[in-house]
Amino acid sequence: MATTLLILGLAAGTFLLRFLPLAVLSRVELPPWAKDWLSLVPGAVLAASLAQALLVQNDRLVLSWANPYLLAAVPTFLVAWRTRNVILTMISGMAAYALLSHLLG
Amino acid sequence: MIWSRIWRGFRATLPLALSVAPFGIAYGAIARQGMAPWQASLMSVAVFAGTAQFLAASLLAQGVGPWPILLTGVLINLRLVLLSAALTPHMRRAPRWLQPFLAHLLTDESFAVSMAEFERHPADPLFFIGSGLGIFGPWQVATQIGLAFGAGIPADYGLEYALPASLICLLFLLVRGRRAALVAGLAAGLSLALRPLVSGTWSTTAATLIAATLGVFTKTWPRRS
Repeated sequence: MATTLLILGLAAGTFLLRFLPLAVLSRVELPPWAKDWLSLVPGAVLAASLAQALLVQNDRLVLSWANPYLLAAVPTFLVAWRTRNVILTMISGMAAYALLSHLLG
Repeated sequence: MIWSRIWRGFRATLPLALSVAPFGIAYGAIARQGMAPWQASLMSVAVFAGTAQFLAASLLAQGVGPWPILLTGVLINLRLVLLSAALTPHMRRAPRWLQPFLAHLLTDESFAVSMAEFERHPADPLFFIGSGLGIFGPWQVATQIGLAFGAGIPADYGLEYALPASLICLLFLLVRGRRAALVAGLAAGLSLALRPLVSGTWSTTAATLIAATLGVFTKTWPRRS
């Protein structure tokens, strides 16, 4: 139930982001700083979420090379950089993580 | 006549659907871990925004609560405001009742194809509708393929790494230019530094807002001095 509400909430929020400029901005234009801010936010969210996913476990910061999440990020970055392909990146990331957590665990 | 104009947009966008399909398949596969298949399908129809769906599905699978997920999803989709604002001058001819449909079909891909078309030909809302459908249809098919395929992935084969891996790939696709990369790096560092002050997933939001705001200042400062 909570999940369904979340989906509907995200749908409503996303719809408003798409619809409001179309409905309201036919007269007004966004100032340049607002456009700049809006273009910087998505990359920032992704990077912050990634930092949390790699370095925080059980609510604690784990800054060590014995952290399999961090180590597996190295080959994953390389594959993402060379291929720009999600499926390939995910498969190699998951394989690297499974292998490393097995070796380190 | 109406159909041929829609068809033109649809046909022009279909090649790009090929680049979107892998995301849809990956989303469907991950979505199985955190929600029912019908909920995953509902999200593809009603939210229809790849990156946000992906992140929401992964966070749900990790057991994160609904409010942080909603907030992260909206922050990622803020980009759509830019696209919508840029599209607006070309959609003046569209009747009011059509506007909600135009809005919902707005994606990076339908935007790119339509803007390229409207530079050479008069702006046509029906072309845009066709273009949007050229992504919407394949996105639903890809979701279903991913849902079917995801059932076959054993849960203990590195599936915890699906979110980090997909975030890494999305970063490469979304962050363009040195300033954007610096802002992203700053957000990452701040989200870690803020953890003692702001609990859990909220530090991500706070770090994002601060980093993006500082990023705007770094653009205007050197020019004024």
